[in-house]
Amino acid sequence: MSRSAWRITWSVWHALLLREAVARMFSRRGAIIWLLMEPVSQIGFMVAMFGLIRATHVGGMDTALWLTSGMLAFFLFRRVATQGAAAIGANLALYTYRQVRPVDTVLVRSWLEGLVMLLTAVIVFAGEALLGVHLQLEDPLLVLNAILGLWLLGLGWGLAASVASELIPEAKEILNLAMMPLMVISGAVFPLAAIPHGWREWVMFNPIAHGVEAVRAGISPYYHHAPEMSMGFLYACTLVLIFLGLALQARFRSRLISL
Amino acid sequence: MIELRNIYKRYQTDHGAGPWVLRDIQLMIPKNTNVGLIGRNGAGKSTLLRLIGGADQPTRGEVVRACRVSWPMGFGGGLQGSLSGRQNAKFICRIHGQQDNMGPILDRIQTFAEIGRYFDEPVKTYSSGMKSRLQFALSLAFDFDVYISDEVTSTGDAAFQAKAAKAFKDLVGRSSLIMTSHSATTLKQFCTAGIWLHEGQAHWFDRIDDALAAYQESISA
Repeated sequence: MSRSAWRITWSVWHALLLREAVARMFSRRGAIIWLLMEPVSQIGFMVAMFGLIRATHVGGMDTALWLTSGMLAFFLFRRVATQGAAAIGANLALYTYRQVRPVDTVLVRSWLEGLVMLLTAVIVFAGEALLGVHLQLEDPLLVLNAILGLWLLGLGWGLAASVASELIPEAKEILNLAMMPLMVISGAVFPLAAIPHGWREWVMFNPIAHGVEAVRAGISPYYHHAPEMSMGFLYACTLVLIFLGLALQARFRSRLISL
Repeated sequence: MIELRNIYKRYQTDHGAGPWVLRDIQLMIPKNTNVGLIGRNGAGKSTLLRLIGGADQPTRGEVVRACRVSWPMGFGGGLQGSLSGRQNAKFICRIHGQQDNMGPILDRIQTFAEIGRYFDEPVKTYSSGMKSRLQFALSLAFDFDVYISDEVTSTGDAAFQAKAAKAFKDLVGRSSLIMTSHSATTLKQFCTAGIWLHEGQAHWFDRIDDALAAYQESISA
């Protein structure tokens, strides 16, 4: 049974993925439905609100499409980030097996949540197509690039936040509180291009905003995205956050397994 | 053979670093020797077992495992309450790289644990005796050179204890056992050598009776 370190890690990831998937989809009655309901209801609510004030276009883009793409992009980050942040605490029982490291649980969850969000997006856009809102990709590579960037950003957040929320009791609450204002200042439900010059530069220090705007820019050729949008900035932040997260995981590993 | 090199261990508490639980432990646990771990409550028996099994890391020093060592069984650790016994068993098969012969292993676990249809119920519905039956069956289903047992036999009923005793006896010659127990009879039944943990230090005895005698003397004094 002498296996290489890489083989052990691979089988741990495989086992954790199956276990997390079972827990996520079958832990309670209709768990799959609820997984879908959360983003669908929020997007539906916002679309209805914008319809009520008769805003048919935002920045040159169909409102429903603008909201759906922006909110799904933000939810991708939020899901991966919050689920990743809770991964270490949810799997404390497993560190009994020396093959399982805390960082594995975060990595596997991020992967799973990414897949779940991808599936959710497909279902949501398919549903909208039936209702007459058609998705066309102007620049598929930019969309993919932005999605990958947002996913990696969520992964970095999860890696760092999972350590912080286990070691500092208050960190969990503060990081979760931050998610609500983040949704607004990331431009998921609010056009960033409408913020006056001079203020907008500050808002654009938030890397999520770059990803959200890039997804829309990749979908619609006529969309007026915030002019500061930069994939380079998004990926730079991603790199820093992932590095910080991995460093924390390595530094506090032995504290985390004896919680 | 398992080697403990200059092991120090202390836990982080809410008020900073706690007191040393284990201080400068140097031990060589030879192959095919059943070892009983003795010491009063809080002496660090479980801590030492967790370090040997790799469920925890020493603050200083290192543990060298030159053989296949099981995870430490005992007190419900390592079982996810929301998943069934079977799902937990599958997970353990997978992380040990045994997914290709999972079928026979699951059968062995189910037969040995004797928890009937509860094998497919969530672990959180189990009684403590059922939990230790499952844990015991789980670790016996894999071929380890050394099995680590933290009082796992003490929660079961008489039938289970007899079964566990037989299973341990069958391991002789093939694998060995490192165990804790507060029952001197159990220790004498299974172990040949003993480790007495006292004030953070470990004392090795080639005969379990000597270790028990030293322990008795320390608590009567």
